[in-house]
Amino acid sequence: MTVDAAELHTDGNAAAGLLQQIFMAEFTTLERTCQSCGDRNPAGAHLCYEGAGIVLRCPNCSDVGLRLAALPDQYVFELRGTWTRRIES
Amino acid sequence: MERLRTLRAPLTWRIATVNELQPETTHATTLVLDVPDWPGHLAGQHVDVRLTAEDGYQAERSYSIASPPEDSHLALTVENIADGEVSPYLTGVLRAGDELELRGPIGGYFTWEVADGGPLLLLGGGSGLVPLMAMLRHRDDARSVEATVLVSARTWDDVLYRNELAKVVENDVTVHYTLTREQPPGWTGWAGRVNEEMLRASGAEPSRQLRVYICGPTGFVEHVADLLVQLGHNPHDIKTERFGPTGG
Repeated sequence: MTVDAAELHTDGNAAAGLLQQIFMAEFTTLERTCQSCGDRNPAGAHLCYEGAGIVLRCPNCSDVGLRLAALPDQYVFELRGTWTRRIES
Repeated sequence: MERLRTLRAPLTWRIATVNELQPETTHATTLVLDVPDWPGHLAGQHVDVRLTAEDGYQAERSYSIASPPEDSHLALTVENIADGEVSPYLTGVLRAGDELELRGPIGGYFTWEVADGGPLLLLGGGSGLVPLMAMLRHRDDARSVEATVLVSARTWDDVLYRNELAKVVENDVTVHYTLTREQPPGWTGWAGRVNEEMLRASGAEPSRQLRVYICGPTGFVEHVADLLVQLGHNPHDIKTERFGPTGG
């Protein structure tokens, strides 16, 4: 099966299950302001590339916003930009 | 606040029981499931389904929820991908009474509630229609919310929920179809990929302050979203959900 290059990514919704499992909270509505272009978007709107790990990229400029690697005994995260999470008080 | 509460849910694997299997098209089946202690969901959310082989090998896939929050059963519509790992089992081997491991509901971004209002413009490519159908079903009693659906499928036989879509028209929903690969004799709908003319005919003027949801394969979603942005829509007002190539 040949895969179109445009089909190689999905979006933040596709990683939502794993991210919710790790963060114990819904993840796709978290908002991120990109450190590169300044655009603000929910995690669900970010482009998702899956390989050895997961990479979420800004839907406006493609800069990396989240990198996640799943190792045998731990998850390793790298977050870039300003992520905003609201927690009910 | 209600929504925040719904979204603060730890994710646990649950055992669902297949209540019924409904064939939708030659390639798609709806699984009607009983899920004990289901916490409820929003239209547009999905679940992860996990299959475990006898040797312990596990395969996991995401499937959109087709049933509205009001239903007592949870329904998933699964498209059979011939060389897939999970969908051939779900659509061909699974029987009523069988158990299935799933977790959810998942996602909060690609969701719609009646209180969010409209007008709604729902654009679905192939099985991307599934979460949009949950929204339409949820809207059922809220006729005040204007709704237009544009369904893109390869052939007429590939269109999901055909009978139900014919009925929602009576419920003040406008439904448009475009068939990309083959059209039946006497076809009066559109043919080919979604284009600007189809979007305009579906009422996609930026001035209408629409709630736009696009779901389908990545190529479909990005093509339609790009067209809408060219028409003057703000990308931030367009909600998208892409199904990747690894379906199955």
